[in-house]
Parts: sequence; structure tokens; C-alpha cells
Amino acid sequence: MNEIAVRAVGVWKVYGGGQTQVDALADVSADFGKGRFTAIMGPSGSGKSTLLHCLAGLDKPSDGKVLLGDIDLTTLPEKQLTHLRRDRIGFVFQAFNLVPTLTALENITLPLDLAGRKPDQEWLTTVIDAIGLSDRLSHKPAELSGGQQQRVACARALVSRPDVVFADEPTGNLDSRSSADVLDFLHRSVRDFGQTVVMVTHDPSAAAYADRVLFLADGTLQSELLDPTAESVLDTMKKLETALPAEHVAG
Amino acid sequence: MFRLGLRSVLAHRLRFVLCTLAVTLGVAFAGGAMVFTDTLSHALKKNFAVSTADITVTPSSPIETGTDRPATFQSEVADRVAAVPGVASAIPQLMVSDVEILGPDGKKVENYGLTSFGAAWPRDAATAPFKLVDGTPPYGGSQLALDESTASRAGYELGDQVRIVTPTQALTATLTGTTTPAVAGAAAGAPLVTFDGATAQRLLLGKAGWTSVTVALKPGSDADTVSKAISTTIGDSVKVRTAKQVSADGRHDLDTTFGGFSTVLVLFACLALFVGTFLIVNTFAMVVAQRSRELAMLRAIGASRSQVTSSIVAESAIIGFLGSTLGLLIGIGVAVAIRFTYETLDLRIPTASLQVTPTTIIACYVIGTGVTIAAAAPAARRAGRLPPIAAMRDDVSVPERSLLVRILIGAFVLLMAVLFYAIGLNTGGLPGVVLIVLGAGTAVIGIVMLSPLLSRYVVRALMYPFGRKAPVTLGRRNAERNPRRTSATASALMISVSLISGLMVIAASAKASINENIAEALGTSQILITTDGTPAFSTQVGDRTEKVAGVRSVHRVRTETGKVGKTNVQVTGISDGTLDGPITTKYDSGSAAALGSGQALLPRNLATTLGVTVGKTFELATTTGTHKLAVGGIVAPNRQLNAVIVSLPTYQTIGGTTSDNLLYVEVADGNQVGQVRADILGRLTKDYPSIQVRDQQAYAAAAREPVNGVLAAVGFLLVLAVLIALLGIVNTLGLGVVERTREIGLLRAVGMDSPQLSRMLRVESIAITMLGSLLGLALGVGVAAAIQSAMVDNGLGVRDIPVLQLVAAVAAAMLFGVLAAVWPSRRASRLNVLRAIAAE
Repeated sequence: MNEIAVRAVGVWKVYGGGQTQVDALADVSADFGKGRFTAIMGPSGSGKSTLLHCLAGLDKPSDGKVLLGDIDLTTLPEKQLTHLRRDRIGFVFQAFNLVPTLTALENITLPLDLAGRKPDQEWLTTVIDAIGLSDRLSHKPAELSGGQQQRVACARALVSRPDVVFADEPTGNLDSRSSADVLDFLHRSVRDFGQTVVMVTHDPSAAAYADRVLFLADGTLQSELLDPTAESVLDTMKKLETALPAEHVAG
Repeated sequence: MFRLGLRSVLAHRLRFVLCTLAVTLGVAFAGGAMVFTDTLSHALKKNFAVSTADITVTPSSPIETGTDRPATFQSEVADRVAAVPGVASAIPQLMVSDVEILGPDGKKVENYGLTSFGAAWPRDAATAPFKLVDGTPPYGGSQLALDESTASRAGYELGDQVRIVTPTQALTATLTGTTTPAVAGAAAGAPLVTFDGATAQRLLLGKAGWTSVTVALKPGSDADTVSKAISTTIGDSVKVRTAKQVSADGRHDLDTTFGGFSTVLVLFACLALFVGTFLIVNTFAMVVAQRSRELAMLRAIGASRSQVTSSIVAESAIIGFLGSTLGLLIGIGVAVAIRFTYETLDLRIPTASLQVTPTTIIACYVIGTGVTIAAAAPAARRAGRLPPIAAMRDDVSVPERSLLVRILIGAFVLLMAVLFYAIGLNTGGLPGVVLIVLGAGTAVIGIVMLSPLLSRYVVRALMYPFGRKAPVTLGRRNAERNPRRTSATASALMISVSLISGLMVIAASAKASINENIAEALGTSQILITTDGTPAFSTQVGDRTEKVAGVRSVHRVRTETGKVGKTNVQVTGISDGTLDGPITTKYDSGSAAALGSGQALLPRNLATTLGVTVGKTFELATTTGTHKLAVGGIVAPNRQLNAVIVSLPTYQTIGGTTSDNLLYVEVADGNQVGQVRADILGRLTKDYPSIQVRDQQAYAAAAREPVNGVLAAVGFLLVLAVLIALLGIVNTLGLGVVERTREIGLLRAVGMDSPQLSRMLRVESIAITMLGSLLGLALGVGVAAAIQSAMVDNGLGVRDIPVLQLVAAVAAAMLFGVLAAVWPSRRASRLNVLRAIAAE
């Protein structure tokens, strides 16, 4: 498992300028191994979502590089970036973000339809079985529960066999049971299908599903934890909070 | 709540741009019409309101005639009026239209639509309707005077030879004087040519007679008293009016000529506001839907239902006010432009300062703001019904009434429309057309109500050929997802397109019918002679034509207006033999032989209307009184003879004038029609430049010309209405993009590129456009075809559906649909993906 899926090299993200300059990310470098489930944690305003957006090519860093395989996302023009997102990156958002006019199945295959490709039936069946919604495929999003919608969103992220799936607080809007379903699915997609998942979360028990946790505060990497449990994550968080000035914790 | 509304409008300026534009357009046209009409009538009042005579006596005619053939009386009326106590002088006057003034180049002087009048020089200048400006009064058959404006426009100086064509003859006379135009009455401001009294009667009327008597009062006499005395003395045969009454009911030729602008503007204002209403309804429905969470939040923190409702009403009032203000300003600009246009024409038309009356301002604001508030009212009411709890929910939807009720009512209305339609088809004639149009109006309401249901299936069917690629499917579903919105947007287009397609079918049918009717009606008459300017022309035209080599015969037709009972009719006098070849006539009963003295032929439909049969008599009223005529025969409908037909001698006895309206020329065997036509033209064109000599094809083409004119004028207005409807599509799509910001961000995030995004919006736009234009096409063609069926016996015998033109119109609509998506998709593809996803 030494291959690298995504790599951030000296990434800066600066907002504003002069007196009001804010460094959302300050010289962040990190590798995300293939076939691994990585969680990024940190208090609000720590820059964890900004990092995820930069890694996924949704946002451009002010400085530094983001490499997907050997492609530098920071220099890619918008059109190629769009196609790269479609073909090689999967997304799961906090608010489920399904297209309300399409059925569950149509939502799952949407990235393939947009690319004009036929779905790999075997893989599609595998993914659908894994989310356990094979009987609700013809339903519109409005007819599904929040947890079901999020699992459809996960299936959509996986259907094109992307290099990486990025999940931004995927359980933020869910109750604990639905959260467990979604996280379990992400975990299995890594373990059983060899997918790569990068997830931003502020929930220690969600982070515990990951193989590795990166802790971010004030736009810089603070520490990392391998094979975390909810307790060890919580402990690290607490240590970080006491190490930082109070105003940052509050933020 | 007003402040809240204002803030909201300011915050969402862009959403209201098209809404405001729609109101602005409507109000601009309404305002322009009102300002222009006020300015014109103010100018006319200021310059022409004063009648120079204290009392005016005119013949009272049993029928209402235009200015071209006024009723006349003899001099003895003037003498009897002069004998009435209190009358200082009673001067007979003669003033009629139907005169052509030719310029030095031999062509008619350009009058910009104004009618030229001819008058007799009055014996007394005091009560004359015009005044001498320069030179001397004309005397005898070789002298005349012109009004100064016409003289200078044509480039005539005193002493020049001026050519005039009157209904009785063409002549050249010396210009001895210039006058003012007439100061009052129908001729006010119009070109005027004057002769001495006897010459005027001979040239203008072809007989002795006067059209009015102007009275000056003795000092100290009361106009009303004297006016009553005159009435009692002369009796019912005259109308007596004081100066005050004359100016009160004075109809001005200027008014009707230039007032036409305002009618057109008012019509367009109505159409623009009507179509614009759909746009406003949609905008507010969408704005309320987008802000539902915010509105529910207002309720949650203690705003009452009516407060929420009134905040939306306040928004619409602001939009309406803004649109009205802009519209009023533009309207004033439009009026200024029209006034400028006619002032630059070389006519001595009086000017007055622009009249922006309080009535106009109030009316503009009431119309603009009223329409906007009314259109926003349903959305405002829905906003008030939002439950406060909606603020807490994630997925807020504005409560909407079930479509079922709407669909049931719509179905019922449509059923009624079909009923009207069927009855109309069976009734036929004008009442049938009224019923069909009523049915069409009802059908529009029914279809608008049903269209949410229709849109679901029609859109699916229409979009089938576009395939099932993701952007197409998404675009189609977007068009289907809110049926009310889609159908309201499409309805505006449907109404405009149905009017256009209906007009196209009726125009094509009218033209085809004219062709056929003329071909059926014209027999051996290969050449037809008419005049372009005045309706009637001198008998000399026919006399000269008869002398042209190759002409076998010339048949004369003269026409007057008359009245049978309460029905207005045309009375046509024809020379012998006209019906035996030159005009093809089919007799239901009787024959042309029955066209003796005191006898008349009637077309079938007129006979049915009057309820007469052969042998019966009926009473025909003309300017000279009531005449008894016996029905000699009944003829099948004939385009060339849709009138009470009498022989020329009979025509004379019922008071017809001695000038022709149309000549049918037969060419002798062995002569080329083209050659004979050229020869006739050569004989006539110098003295009668307005005379048209045409063969049958050219005559038919000329008869079709007015149809083209109407088509062009009305079509232009309707195209503008279509453009407003298309603005509505831009509006719906644009607001849809704002509303679905997050969804678009998501689609972008999962890999939709901007061409695909544009395609999605284009598909939605085309779906709405096709829905609207195809429904409109079906409705328009259906109604027009029905109207044609009902009018089969009234001159619309041929149905012609111009398929190619209609297809082109729909194709154009689709093209515009594609264009309508350009701006919204530019906006959509510029959305920042990250921010779009984060958007609420």
C-alpha cells in the first residue's frame, strides 16, 4: 500500500490581503495512499474543508501543488478539470445533493451519463447491493430518507470507479443509525473494493472508521493517528485544543 | 412591511428586471397613446375650435354619409333662413371632398393621408370657413384658389396654371389667390381648393346645391333663440347648430388621420400588458418559492399572515410603480417622436405644447401598478399561507392548491368552448364568427387552465426525438417539474402564436378567396379602370376610353351608400349589358331584363337579410330621401356586385351623382389586351394621373393589397407580443437558474461541463417554446379555419392554410427558444461550483 492516490505539496490558501489577510491553509503537505480511508479532522475554521476542496480540484490553492497520480490539478484548465472530476473523482456532500428530478438509479449513473459512457453492469450491481437499496431504485430523492439519499450519493461517487472519493462531512445531517450505515459503506468500499476515500469530519466516532486521521488546526497539519478509535481521536483532539489559544478553539 | 418589500426588491434587482420591462413596455404604449391624443386634440381645439358662423344650417339626411357625398339643399333654404328674425346674413356654402390637386409635375400633391376638399368662394367673407391670404378671389371656370400650405408644398405661385381633378372633370386653371385652410369642421387643416360658387357646383357636385348655410346674427340676438326659430321655419329637413355645438361635435379629418396612431398604440398596450401578466405571475410565484424559508421565518418570529402577504404586495407595487414611471417617460418620448414625424411632413398642422395631463399620469400608474399587483396577488396569498414551522424544515415547499380542481374547471371551460365553436360553425355568417371567436377566447382560458396537465405529456412527446442523453433528460424533467410555471410561460407564447397563425390562415384564405371571387365574377371584361385617390372619377374617363381603338364596350358602375330599414347598403348603378358578360352573374330568380325603371336586383344574402322576394317592393333611403323599388331579381353572391343593383337612369332618380366608380372594358376581338390597355392609359394619364387601368390579374393583385397591408401592420404588433412572450421564457429560465443554483453546482461537481449545462437549459427552453407555439398553432389554425367556414357565403369561400409559412413561424419560434436560453446558460455556467453547492 505504498502507492499514492493524491498528494498535496506545500499548499497555501490565502484569503484577502494586507491587514485582513487570512491563511486558510499554510504550507500543508500530505500524501493519501491508494486503497486507504483517511479522515481529516479539526475544529471549525481549521481549514479542513478548504483542504478537501483543493485536493478535489474544486478550489485552486494560492500556492503549492495538488497531484492526482501525476497530474497537477492546480494548473489544469477548467474544462479538463471538469472532465477529470467526472471520470476520476467521486464526491459525497454533507447536504445530500441529489438531483430532485432524477430517480435514485439515474442519480447513481449520472456521472457516466454525462460522460456518455455505459455503466459496467457488474460493478453497478455490486455497488447497489452494497448500499442495500436495490428495491428503491426507481424512487425520486424526495421519497427517500436522509440516510438512503446519502447512500445513493455514495453509490454515485463510486460508480465511475474513481481514483479517490472525497466526502465532506457525509454524516453531518444524519442521525447516528444512518451515519453508521453510510460510514460502514465507505469503510467496506475501501476494504472490499480497494477504493480510496478522503473524508472531512468533526465527529470522532466517524473518524474511527478511517485507517488514518490527519489533524488540522489554524491551516497547518498538527498530527496524525493511525488505526484510530473514537477514544484515541477524542484524546488527540483534546490535546490539540489545550495546546492552542482559546480563541482558535472557540472558532 | 413596505420597507421589507423595498429591501427585498433592491436585494434581488436582477430577478425583477424583465418583470419591470414588461410593465414598462405596456405602460409606454398606453401612455404614448394618451399623450399623443391629448396633444393632437389640444392643438386642433386651439386652432380650429372657432366656427366663424354664429349658426350653421346643414341638410339633414336620412342616412349617415361620409364627407365625400354630403347631402345638399338649394339656395332657397338660405333665403328662408335669411328671413328669420335676428339673422343678419345667411350665406350658402359648398364644401366637399373628392378633389385631387396635381403638382407642376403632373402627379398628385402628397397630402400624407389627408383628404383634399373643394369649396365654393363665399359671398360674404365674415362667416366664411376660410380666409383669403394673398391674391384675389377666383372667378369663372378658369380660376381657382388654393390653401397656402398646399400651394407652397406643391411649389405653386400666384398666376401659375394648376391642374385639378374633380369627380366631374379634369381641368387646368389659374391660381389667383391663396387662402387659409378651413378653420372648423371635417375639413379643418386639410388641403383646400376653391372656385366661385357656380363653377364649384358644376365641378364638384355636377348639379346645383349647397352643403351648408352659415348665419351671422344681428347684434343683441341670442344664438339659441334664433337657432330654434330657424328650425321651426325650415322644418325637419335641416340640422341647425350654434357655433358652440359645432365645435363640440366637430369631427376633424386630422383627428382621424393621425389619431390612428393612438388606436394602434392602445391595442398594442393591451396585448403587451396581457402577455406581460404571465411573466409577472411567474416571477412572483418563483420569488415566493425561492424565499419560502425566509418568509416562514418571518411568520415564526411573529409576523401575521397578512403582513407576509402585504410584504409581497409591497414588492409588486414597487415594481409596478417603477415600471409605470419608466413606461410613462418612454410613452412621452413616443408621443414626441410621433409629433415630430408629422410636424416634419410639409403640412401646416398646428402644434401645441405636449399635453401630459394628470389623467394620463394617473391612468398610467393605475394601469401599470394595478396589473402588477393583480398578477402578483396569487403568489402573495400563497406566501401568507406558509406555516411558520416551514422555517425549521429543510425541504420547504409553498403550499399550492391541488391541480385537480383547476383541471376539472379547465375541462369544463374547454367543453363550453367546443360547444360555442360547434354552434358557431352551424350558425355561419357574422353571428357564427362572433360565436367562434367567443369559443376561441373561452378555449384559451380552458387550455391555460389545462396546460399544467397537457404540458406533462406534450413535453414528453415533443422531446422524444431529442434522445435520452443526460442533459436532454435533465432539461426535459426541468420543464416538467413545475407544470404551473412551464404552462404559464408557454401560455403567453401560445396566445401570441395563435393570433399570428390565425391571422396568417385568414389572410391567406382572404387572398385566395379574392382571387377566386374575382375570377368567378369577371367575365368578358378584360380591363378594369378605377382611381387611386378619390372613390369616384369623371364620366370623361369612360368617354375617352370608348374612343380608344380596340375597345368594344365600356360598362360603367356607380356606387352610393344607402339604407334599407336599419341595414346600411351600397347602391350600385350599372349601365345596360354589364351583367350580360362583363360581369358573370348567376340568377336565383328573375333576370337582368327585369332591371327596368324603379326595379332593383338584390344579392341573395341581402335579400335574405331584408326578407324580400321577387316582385316585392322595399324602401331605399339615400341622401335625397326615400325611394320605393321593386325587386326584379335575386342574384348569387358576387364580389363585384354586393349591393342593391339598379340601372343608371334609376340611379339618377334616387339621387346618385354623375361620376363613375369603376369601368369594365371589353376588348374587341383581334386586339391584344396589353396594347389596348397601354392605349387607354396613354389617353388618360395626363389629365387623370390617379386613374388605374388594370387587366384582370393586376386588378386581383390590387384587391389583395389591403390584405397584405393589414397582415403587415397587425403582424408587426403580434411579433412584438411574441417577443414579450419569449422574454417570459428568458425570465423563467433565468429565475430557474437562480433557484437551482445548488443543483447546478452539484451537476458541475459530478462532471457536467458547460456545453452540457447549456444544452440542458436549451432543451428546457425548446420544450416550453414548442409547447406554446404548437398549442398556439393548433388553436389559431382551428379557429381561423372555423371562421372561414362560417364566412363561406360572406366572401371567404376558399380555405388556404399556408403550411410552409406556418412551419416557418414555428421553426422561428424554436430558434428564438434556443436564443432565449443563451443568457440563462451563460449565467449558469459562470456559477462558481463551490459557492453554488454551499448556496441555500
